[in-house]
Amino acid sequence: MNGLLAFTKKEFREHIYNYKALILLAVFFVFGMISPLLAKMMPEIFSHMSIEGLTITITEPTYIEAYSQFFKNITQMGIIVILLIFSGILSRELTRGTLIIVLAKGLSRHAVILAKYFVALTLWTISYSLAAIINFGYTFYLFGQFYAPNLLFSLFCLWLFGVFILAVVMMTSTLTSGNYAGLLLTAAILGILLTINIFPTIKKFNPVSLASNNIALITNTKSVSELLITIWITLALSSFCLLISLIVFRRKKL
Amino acid sequence: MEILRLDHIEKHFGDVRAIQDLTLTVTAHSVFGFIGKNGAGKTTTMKMIMGFLPPSSGEIYVCGEKVNYGDTKTNRHIGYLPDVPEFYGYMFPEQYLELCGEIAGQKPTQIKKKVTQLLKLVGLKGVRRKIEGFSRGMKQRLGIAQALLNQPKLLICDEPTSALDPIGRKEILEILSKVSEQTTILFSTHILSDVERICDRIGILDQGKLIVQGNLAEIRSTYRQDTILIELADQNCPASFAAKLRSLPFVSEVVMKENTITIHLTDITKKAGKILELLAREQIPVIKYEVLEPSLENVFLEMIK
Repeated sequence: MNGLLAFTKKEFREHIYNYKALILLAVFFVFGMISPLLAKMMPEIFSHMSIEGLTITITEPTYIEAYSQFFKNITQMGIIVILLIFSGILSRELTRGTLIIVLAKGLSRHAVILAKYFVALTLWTISYSLAAIINFGYTFYLFGQFYAPNLLFSLFCLWLFGVFILAVVMMTSTLTSGNYAGLLLTAAILGILLTINIFPTIKKFNPVSLASNNIALITNTKSVSELLITIWITLALSSFCLLISLIVFRRKKL
Repeated sequence: MEILRLDHIEKHFGDVRAIQDLTLTVTAHSVFGFIGKNGAGKTTTMKMIMGFLPPSSGEIYVCGEKVNYGDTKTNRHIGYLPDVPEFYGYMFPEQYLELCGEIAGQKPTQIKKKVTQLLKLVGLKGVRRKIEGFSRGMKQRLGIAQALLNQPKLLICDEPTSALDPIGRKEILEILSKVSEQTTILFSTHILSDVERICDRIGILDQGKLIVQGNLAEIRSTYRQDTILIELADQNCPASFAAKLRSLPFVSEVVMKENTITIHLTDITKKAGKILELLAREQIPVIKYEVLEPSLENVFLEMIK
């Protein structure tokens, strides 16, 4: 337990020293700010675009556009930033050999995986919450709308998708060696999941649904109950990825 | 008391038998030199002791506890200095040692005290520089400090002096020498003069096989090759003299190079005088006549022939 706490502390310190925590917070801060602003300014931007013979008419934006921008930014750019920041979370240390001494000091291999995942999860939660709070406040300021149905549940779904992505990143970083192999494997897994999402019959079992139904939830075109099964499956898959990481790293030759 | 025991260890990498039937014991309060050429299997053996690599067969015991691959429980008895120690470069040495102490489960007050002591011992006290700015020698010294942090019963050093300059080597050997008063050391190297300086017991590993192990002085005496070095006044040694030397029953080898003759004898104690007699009889002028001390290098080279 001492080892787990000490290593968790070291992980936090490392993310602060190498500016990864700062980058993550800054990027998500920008997402929170820019989403409602873009939604508000979209008609104005388009009105300045003069394309001959073409008239672009855009309806007056609402808070829904602001949330639509927000979810789009997080599911696209946000996830890419998460992948870039956390890919190689374990393989980088294995390549450099920095884990040898701490493991020789008696740190359990399970503690390494758990500490790294916990820190990644905490940073994701803080930066995502920051973006969501800023987006919420700024949307309210610009659009005067306070309430959106299922907003918290919708935000939770996207957060859980991030939790799942981090578990996949942890697993691929354990399975592969080198800095980029894990990133490629994660991208391949996400590619497969996105392809699966094309088929309506299995769509609801796919964690990707948690990141593609957020607007449908706040516009009440999708109900909470329809995504419950996806939530359980995502939780199970995240646990499975972590379990694989623990087992594989336990048997990894150093 | 046995601190470390390796029982019939085999390690295969595909078809390559990296370690072959290695049985080895290290007793308490000894400095055990684990000698071998590069690629002999020293690092592989050490990684198996640390539980970082699984042996293909055989068992390893540290302080009587079985080492299980992937498990780190037995490592609480060990301080380990890898051949190229890698640290978190953004940390200061104190911070790194504190992290190691916390991982080892020590109390904060104990850690503070121990960190100060160890930094003083390895000559890094007062160094206000991040580890990323350390030289190779400083990193090795920090490596020794972290290895000693948990007051290990066994200190394993994997080639700690190989990549250092003579001053760095001297410093590390002095630290190890000091440390050997309190703990057992297993020290791998291919630099034999380092072994002669600090080790009392040795094991020679060649192509994955332990070809000899035991007390350094005993091994030296058992495997000694008695050698006499003669430097002649004349550039050319008469061929007849060399032939006479070779014909002597106690001479095993005669090597001639310019005006120097190296003679290997089977027994120096009784026969050295015969060589002098022959030199006098043949009236060969001599500049230097020296009985060479048997070195570990000679023993090593003889053993791995």
